[in-house]
Amino acid sequence: MSLLTNLMENSLDAGYAEAAERRRAGEASSGGPWVFAAGMVLIGLLVAVAAAEARNRAPAVDETREALGNEIAERTAVADRLENELTELRAAVDQARADALQLTAAGTQLADQLTALETATGAGAVQGPALTVHLEDAEEAQVDGSVDPRTDDEDAQGRVTDRDLQTVVNELWAAGAEAIAVNEQRLTALSAIRSAGQAVLVDFRPLSPPYDIVAIGDTDRLQTRFVDGFGGTYLDVLETYGIEHDVGTEDAVRLPAASGLPVRRATVPEPAGGAG
Amino acid sequence: MIAALGLLLGIVAGLFLEPTVPVWLQPYLPIAVVAALDALFGGLRSLLDGIFDDKVFVVSFVANVLVAALIVFLGDQLGVGAQLSTGVVVVLGIRIFSNAAAIRRHLFRA
Repeated sequence: MSLLTNLMENSLDAGYAEAAERRRAGEASSGGPWVFAAGMVLIGLLVAVAAAEARNRAPAVDETREALGNEIAERTAVADRLENELTELRAAVDQARADALQLTAAGTQLADQLTALETATGAGAVQGPALTVHLEDAEEAQVDGSVDPRTDDEDAQGRVTDRDLQTVVNELWAAGAEAIAVNEQRLTALSAIRSAGQAVLVDFRPLSPPYDIVAIGDTDRLQTRFVDGFGGTYLDVLETYGIEHDVGTEDAVRLPAASGLPVRRATVPEPAGGAG
Repeated sequence: MIAALGLLLGIVAGLFLEPTVPVWLQPYLPIAVVAALDALFGGLRSLLDGIFDDKVFVVSFVANVLVAALIVFLGDQLGVGAQLSTGVVVVLGIRIFSNAAAIRRHLFRA
């Protein structure tokens, strides 16, 4: 405590006492009014500059935030525009390719092969009759669902998990589905159904319940094999946890192409005669 | 009188000229202001005590500001700038308080 006591008791600079002592001894005062005035000018300057600085700094923070916000909006707009451009260009390329392939018999055959491959890989949009499986969280889980699903770690039994979706999707593939999408997210052979916190991710995009799984294929065969197989059993088990399901068919459904299908391997084709 | 004019001149100059403070100097401004306040209150008290001295006042002011800034600078280099700033503010704050208390005793005799 001696430090604090010392501070409290000797708050006045010792220099003043010494200067007073010297003056009493007869020495002339060392400073002068001009030195004093210069010191006061300095103090005034310092305080004023600090005040101006403090006042300027607050808007500067806002300005920075606003600038960042504007930049985000700008970049998002650019990204959106580029994505639109990409979609347009893809359509143009597809059209051009279809036109070019139509010219020859071999081309037509190639085009058919291409369509089949695109359907199988998920690279192209598909259309056709489909089996739909609708999964909904149990009601008590939905009440809990008011919490942000990404942060809520509470164990909820009545919630559809990534494992449930994986099982249903795999059973649909096994039943002969040609193309599957979960909540409009087209699945490919490389798609991942995972979870982060309580949210289910398909290809790293979070989905929100309820979940609609649409499988294009021969609906009669699909339905029989899925419902009578392990898929139906699994849905019944889910029912005991309060997860409602609804299996139905639709005559014509259009599934979008999978997004972000990267090119992993490519080779330059051998220059055939005539082809440039 | 000259002193009051000087203070006024300084404030006016600071407000109207608006000198741009270099970025590296900005963190030390608040500390410098606290140090200046300490010198100011010290001077006022010594004036009331009857032992005021121009030179001691100016030198103590300049030295206070420089030392305070130096300590904070050193702290920044060592990675404990925030803690040392707090230390400087606490010490100068206590001094300002006790000087203000002494001034109050002089003025109000209470």
